[in-house]
Order: sequence, then structure tokens, then C-alpha cells
Amino acid sequence: MSNAPMHQEPPSPEPPFPEPLYLEPRLESALESLLKETSFLQGLVAALGSPLHILLPEQIASNAERFRGVFRRHQLTGRIFFAHKANRSSSLVRRLAATGERLGAGLDVASLGELRHGLGAGFAGERVVATGPKSPEFLWLAARSGVTVNADGVQEVEEAARLVRTYGLPRVRLLLRLSEFETPASGTRTLSRRSRFGTPVKALDTLLDAVERHRDALEPIGVGYHLDTTGLDEKATALEGCLRAMEELRIRGFTPRAVDVGGGFGTGYLAHAGQWDRYTSALTDAVMGGRPPLTWGGHGYGLRVENGTLKGSLALYPAYRSVAGPGYLDALLSRPAPGLGRPLGTLLLESMYELFAEPGRALADQCGLSLATVLEVRRAEAGEYLVRLAMNAGDVSLEDHGVLMDPVLLPQEDGRGHGRGEGPVGVHLMGNLCLESDLITRRRVCLPRLPRQGDLLAFANTAGYCMDFGATHAQQQPLARRVAVWQEERGTGGWRWRLDEEYWPITRTGTDTDTGTGTDTDTGSGSGTGTPTGGPYA
Amino acid sequence: MRYDSITEAIGNTPLVRIAPDVHGLRHIDLYAKLEMLNPFGSLKDRAAWNMARPALHDAQRSGATVVELSSGNTAKALALIAGMHGLPFKSVTNRMRIPEIKDLLLLLGAEIEELPGQSECLDPTDTDDPLTLFHQRLSRPGGAHLHTDQYFNDLNTEAHATGTGPEIIADLDGRAPDWLIACVGTAGSSTGTARTLREHDPSRPVSVVGLVGEKSDFIPGIRTIDEVQEVGIFDPGTYDAIESVSADEAIDGMLTLLRRCGMLAGPTGGAAYHGAVRHLTAVDAELAERRARGAAAERETAVFIVCDRVESYLGYLRQRRPELLGRPPAKNSAATVTEAEIRGASVVEVAEAQKWIAEQRPLVVDLRGPFAYAALHIEGSVNIVDELFEELVRGGLPFGRRQPVLLACPVGEKSARYAALLTRMGHPDVRSLAGGIIAWRDAGAPLVRD
Repeated sequence: MSNAPMHQEPPSPEPPFPEPLYLEPRLESALESLLKETSFLQGLVAALGSPLHILLPEQIASNAERFRGVFRRHQLTGRIFFAHKANRSSSLVRRLAATGERLGAGLDVASLGELRHGLGAGFAGERVVATGPKSPEFLWLAARSGVTVNADGVQEVEEAARLVRTYGLPRVRLLLRLSEFETPASGTRTLSRRSRFGTPVKALDTLLDAVERHRDALEPIGVGYHLDTTGLDEKATALEGCLRAMEELRIRGFTPRAVDVGGGFGTGYLAHAGQWDRYTSALTDAVMGGRPPLTWGGHGYGLRVENGTLKGSLALYPAYRSVAGPGYLDALLSRPAPGLGRPLGTLLLESMYELFAEPGRALADQCGLSLATVLEVRRAEAGEYLVRLAMNAGDVSLEDHGVLMDPVLLPQEDGRGHGRGEGPVGVHLMGNLCLESDLITRRRVCLPRLPRQGDLLAFANTAGYCMDFGATHAQQQPLARRVAVWQEERGTGGWRWRLDEEYWPITRTGTDTDTGTGTDTDTGSGSGTGTPTGGPYA
Repeated sequence: MRYDSITEAIGNTPLVRIAPDVHGLRHIDLYAKLEMLNPFGSLKDRAAWNMARPALHDAQRSGATVVELSSGNTAKALALIAGMHGLPFKSVTNRMRIPEIKDLLLLLGAEIEELPGQSECLDPTDTDDPLTLFHQRLSRPGGAHLHTDQYFNDLNTEAHATGTGPEIIADLDGRAPDWLIACVGTAGSSTGTARTLREHDPSRPVSVVGLVGEKSDFIPGIRTIDEVQEVGIFDPGTYDAIESVSADEAIDGMLTLLRRCGMLAGPTGGAAYHGAVRHLTAVDAELAERRARGAAAERETAVFIVCDRVESYLGYLRQRRPELLGRPPAKNSAATVTEAEIRGASVVEVAEAQKWIAEQRPLVVDLRGPFAYAALHIEGSVNIVDELFEELVRGGLPFGRRQPVLLACPVGEKSARYAALLTRMGHPDVRSLAGGIIAWRDAGAPLVRD
């Protein structure tokens, strides 16, 4: 599939490593201080096995607070729904459920299982929105429990009305998911990637006819979109299209009150813009044949060369983002509507609409990391180092999501020196499957020194889509266990842990300042809680 | 000079010397090739005409649409050329980043298609770039297109090899310059011009400096070091050096050309000037040293290309360097109202306001946008959107002092600010609706739509 010239590097005494092309992960204070607790993490892996996912439930609450800050800045009310599909852990969902009403945190569920999980985590139905493809059972439980249904089209509207009538359910609140927005009178046509989901704006009338037929069973509370793009222009066009669609609802005598801007606010994975720029330039150069490959087998991540010219496009997540998460939402709301001219946030406020947002990756930012034990370090004939991990590509789906970053090396604390390979080194990370393609990443990652058997590698910031999205039971390798960790005394004391499924927000110490809904109760010596350093865990 | 067609006026642009006290080079004469003086406004006129001309006749017969991937000067030139020949023109672009050019293209009758942004939920197996998809669409049967293909078309390079290059040699009295400095967009101008200059007298080498944009930066018309690799015409062997220029440096260079040289150059021309002076300063120092050692060093000559004019980039400049276009705030402006003045403004709660409206009939001014006003508003209110209101009060009070006024905005903040401003301007009875229209709605007070 790639026409890139294959450079066979000559065997050399030192690995082909002209300069360390680091891609260091962006670490905020909680993850950074957790990664300094090497013996704590080593103890957890010793007890619970590799791979192991660590979650930081406190972080998701503070991320939601940052999103709320953007709402406040634009004087908007509304809800921030966590897109559950980004991570299936209980601790994140339960922690978010325990936040106060003022924060307005909710849950966006995309399956029957996620809905059951959300309700079981303490989310009342009115704090949940159901999106995505829906089975009748999913739709029934959503309607039964008062969940807002993000309706994809006429069929779903009809199905919801039928369920309400047949089973005597309460009136269902609907958000109408729209797509294929047209640039209003700006003279240009913005092409958008075709989506499987939503009703084209052109067909809004037909959709509203259906809603009108079932006025007694359905209450349309607003419209929304979810576009798979990083482009603010496309989203601005969609948001303005939603504002216009809200008018259509009003004309038909409905009283819509919320506009749903979906998610896709993004996350910055890397600490330094310069490293990302340097790496992507070097990758381009390598694909063009200007330098030895930086990847397994000269993989070009979507780039290839034809007749001396670069073709294809870089199929990588833009891992360094100067504007991401809450900042991205702020930029969207500050942007003038392409047709109406005023800033989109102002238009929402003036029209007295609530804002609904459904961040997944951005709310899970800095909420977790994934650990793997180094099983073997080997030098290949070409001089490259291969590092085999007790983990496979499904356990951290970095490669599937096009996220490139270096893991953090957590050496064993046994006092033995490192000797050979001291200093920066590039290594290939191999998974534990008996499968040629099982590489944790096809990029040759950079480490400050060569790891040794028994060391840990920590993949930072995996909680958004990169933790369990693609995990499988392939070859009966163990699925990663998950552990929720938190720091006592609101981020200053020692680290505590509990198995993810055993974590409940009342386990935390300290009160929740946003509402006082937290409690001081720390069950302390309860099941699975403890400090694993020393004793039986070491 | 008399012509039958405006296209005959393409080319033969002036070569103008930059005064030495501006650039500070003592042993190098620096010339600007003023491509901005082409009839459609940029150096792209040459390539556009050279690429389109041979295919126009066939295109007219088949009713083809002229198509190009361009968000700037090539699109502008092609739109004009297409229009002259009765053909539609469509510009396909990643992002129309310069609003003035977008508006101009629409004015010229062009159709603009913008390609989608990068996917947020990435599918690594989807590696087809927008360019490939674009080409696939062009080659679909049934569609008639004249695709000028500026990034790959040799006629782009040829336009400069037969035009720009020979003109420079002629204007330098039959000698090629020692240096050519040009920004790299399609690479057509630098490649074509360099070829002619080098072939002119193989015994005298011509050094070519290609300038690219800094990676996370944006200078209109210039590609970054990675992006140039996607250009078919681009060959790194053309250049003795490839150097990058930041947007700030480009703007600084542009300011020198504007304020000291009388040249209405845009940011790309500024980038070329900045890149030229930066590179040549080191060369100049070497020449000075050689002279000091008594070696016979000839004066050297350098040419840089000024691509287009500044007028289209005012929005770009306002965004990046607002201080260049700064104005002091007007006297009667909401921005000058102090917190103390706002606290002193008269504020009425919803119930009180309803009573006041019934009894005194104040003028109710709704400061929200017309879109929100049309949907729901207080009966009898007039809609003066805040931006317009700001303009109105700049000139004085827009209503009489005996007319009581109730100002309303979404949450009561802007209205309080304007109430304070009008009070300062001498209005005796202007009040702000506490909590705004939202509080009004939440209190269950009536809102109407027409």
C-alpha cells in the first residue's frame, strides 16, 4: 500500500538515532505527581497484573468545572454530558454523577449497557441523553427513565411515539439530531464529510411533521448536531443551522429550549508544539526518502511518495493542540455566525437557549494512564531495539486513534545500574500477541534510556478512547484491570486506590466544594483499598 | 500603451531598487520585482494565463468549467480569465482564510467549494487526502472541466521561465543577478525564474533562496516546509537554501516596503523582503571582509519577488497586529463606562418594569440581535442591536430627554452599561431591565412574536 522507498539501515554499532525525536506527553499536575509514585504504581501492577489501567476520577470533575467556566463566560446555562463511549470505567461516571446540580454534568449514553451503567452510577434520567443507534430495548429504558432522546430521524421518532403509547410511558423529551447543514448565503459551499447519523436539514419539515403527529407523546426540547471534524467553520455553520431550525420548531408552536453542539472539542496529548512540528517534518522527510524511517517498516501514517511528490494525508490525530477542550468550545462560541454575524454564544444567549455539549475525549483528558510491564528487551540485527510488553495494541488503542506519544519509563527501584544503552534511545514496542501486526505503536518511541525487563512503561492520558475502546480477549491474554486512584487531602496527601468497580464517590476524603454533595466518609480499610507498597504487594 | 485585451498587459513588471539606507546592505544592490503590478494584481496572472490559454478554445466549445485548487491569487486571475471567455470558474480550497479574497472571488462570479477539516475521531485507514478525492471527482465521466492544476502544471513554471526570468536579465542590462529570493507557494515562480537566470550565463552561478512559512504559522500564499513536499513542481535541488519566515517577520518586512519604499506590498512580498535582507546580511559581511583583505570583490546584485498587494490583507493584519490599525476609543462609548457608573445606573426588576411600562409608557429598547428579537420580544419594544446602538450614541443621545427609556439585553449586563452611558450623557430617566429578557421570561411576563 505504500510506495515509500524502503531504507534498509546498515547494521551499526549504535542504534540509528541521529537525535532523539521525543513526543513527550502533556501532563497536568495530578498525572504528573502520580507518575512520580513509582513504587505505588509498581505495587499495583505486581498485585493486579499487566496491563493495568489507572483512573483519576477527581480529574473528570475538575474538567467539567472548566467547561462550566466557558458556559459562565458566555453567560449560558445548560448541561455538559460526558460521552460515555470514550471510557467504560465506573469510577469516572460515578464521580461525575456525584457532582452538584450547579455544575450541570450529565451523561451521554450510546447503548443499553451504557444507559444501565449510567443509571446505576447515580445519574437521574433527566441528566442523561441517549444518542447513537438505538435498539427498541435501549429506547424503551430511555423513555421509561425520563432520559432525553437524541433522535436520529423520522423512524426513531415514530418508534419512540409507538413505545410511549403501547407501554403508557411518560412523554419523551427529544433532541433532533440534524446534519448536512448549508452555509447560509455566504456564497461558498463547505463540503462536509458524509455522516451516517442525523436528519439532513433539507428534510427537517418531514421530521417535524412526524413530531407534530405525536405531540401528546413527544416533546421536542431542541435540536443538535455532532460533526466529526476539527474545523470550527463547519461547526459554526452547523450551530447557526440549528438556531434556524429552532425557529422552525417555534413556528410550529413548540417551545424548544436547548441547542446541542455535540462533542469533538479535542485534547492536546503532547507537551511541546516544537516536538510535534519537528517530528511530523522528520516523518515527511523519511517518507520522501530524505532520512532513515522513523517507524516500523517505514510506515508513513498515510503519507506516501509518488514520482518524487508527497501524496496522501497524515492520518494522525493532531496530537499537539493549542486550542482544545474547553478552549475549543470557547472559540466556537466566540466565533461570529457565518450568516447572522453575531457571535454564536451571544445568539444562543439572546435567544434564551440552553447549551448542551457532549465532550468525550476532552472531559476524560488527564483522567487516566495505562501501565505495562517490560517483558523483554532485544537488539534486532539492524541494530534496532525491540521492547516486548505485557500488553497488546488493543489495550491502549493509541495506534487505532492515530495518537502518537512517548510512554513514560518507570524503572524498578532495585538500585541496579543500566549500563549499556544509557542515554536517549529509540525502541519499537511489541505487544504480547502472537501476531506480526501487534505493535503498540508503529512509531519508534523515544525513551530517556533503554528499559530493562521488569520496568514499567506508562502511557499517559489514555482515558479518552485509548484505554478500552478496542480491548479484546484475543489469544486469551488477560484484559486489563482498572483501578481508581485519588489523593488524600485534595491533592496533597498520599495516593489511595480501589478497584474501579468498587469505587464510589463516598470513598473520597474531603467535601465536594462545588455543592457539598460529597461526604467526609472514607471507608478506609474497605475492600480493595490500601497502599500496595511493601508487604504482600511488593 | 494600447492593447486589445487586458491579458496582453500581463508581465513586463518593473524592477525597482530598494534604497541602501533602507536595507543596510553595503555591497549588494537589492531589487524588488514588482509582480503586484500585473493587471489582476499578482504574479499568479502569468501562470494563470499561461496555463489556461491553450485550453480555452476547447473549453469554450465543450462548455467546461475552469477548476483550480486555490484560495488566493491564482483563483482571482482565473476567475477573471474565465469570465472574459464566458466560462464558469470554480475554486476548491482547504480553507478560505482571507475573507476579503473570498468576497472578491464571489464578486467576480466564482463558485467556491471548501474541503472539510480534519476528522476529530480519526479513522487511520482513511488515508485519501482531499487532493486525491478532488482529482477523482474531476476525472469522473460526464463532467467537463478545465483543470489548470497549478501545483503540477509545467506551464506554470514556463510562464516564469519565459517571462519573469528574461525580464529581470533585460532590466539588469543583460546580466543575471547573483541572488534570487522568492517565497514558495506552487514553486512555479522560483523554479521557472531560477532556470532562466542560471541558463543565461552558466559561468556565473545564481544562488536561489526559497522561503517557506513557519510550520505553525500562516502567511497567505506561502507553504510550510512539509506542505511544499506535496507540490509537484517543487524540487529541493532548485534551491541553494530553504529558509522559513514567521508571519510576524513577514508583516515587519511588509511594513518596511509600505512605509519606507512606497511599495504597496502584501505579507508575501514582506516575507520575501525580510528573508532576502536576513540572508544577504551575512553575505554582505563576508563581502566586506573580503574587501578589507584587499581582494577584488565585485558588487553583487539580488532580486526578490513582490507577489501581490496589501489591500486584501487588512483583516489578516487586524487579527494579528491590531495595534497597526488601532484607533483611540470614542468618547461616548460603552467601553469607557466605569464600574462605579454601572453601579449607579438605574435598574428595575421585572414586576416593577411591567408596572412602569403600563403607567409611563417608556420607550423599550431591546439590544439583542434581530434574530432573537424576531423570535420573542416584549410587546411594543424596538430592536436596536447593541452594535448599532453603540454607533448611534457615539454621535449623541438618540432620543429626547423627556422620553423615559427602558433598556433590555439578555441578562441585564449590557443594558446596565448603556444605561450608565446614557445617564452620563445627560439622560434623566433611563433604566436597565434587571436580569434582562431571560429574567422577564422566567418571571412569566409575556413575550410576543409577530
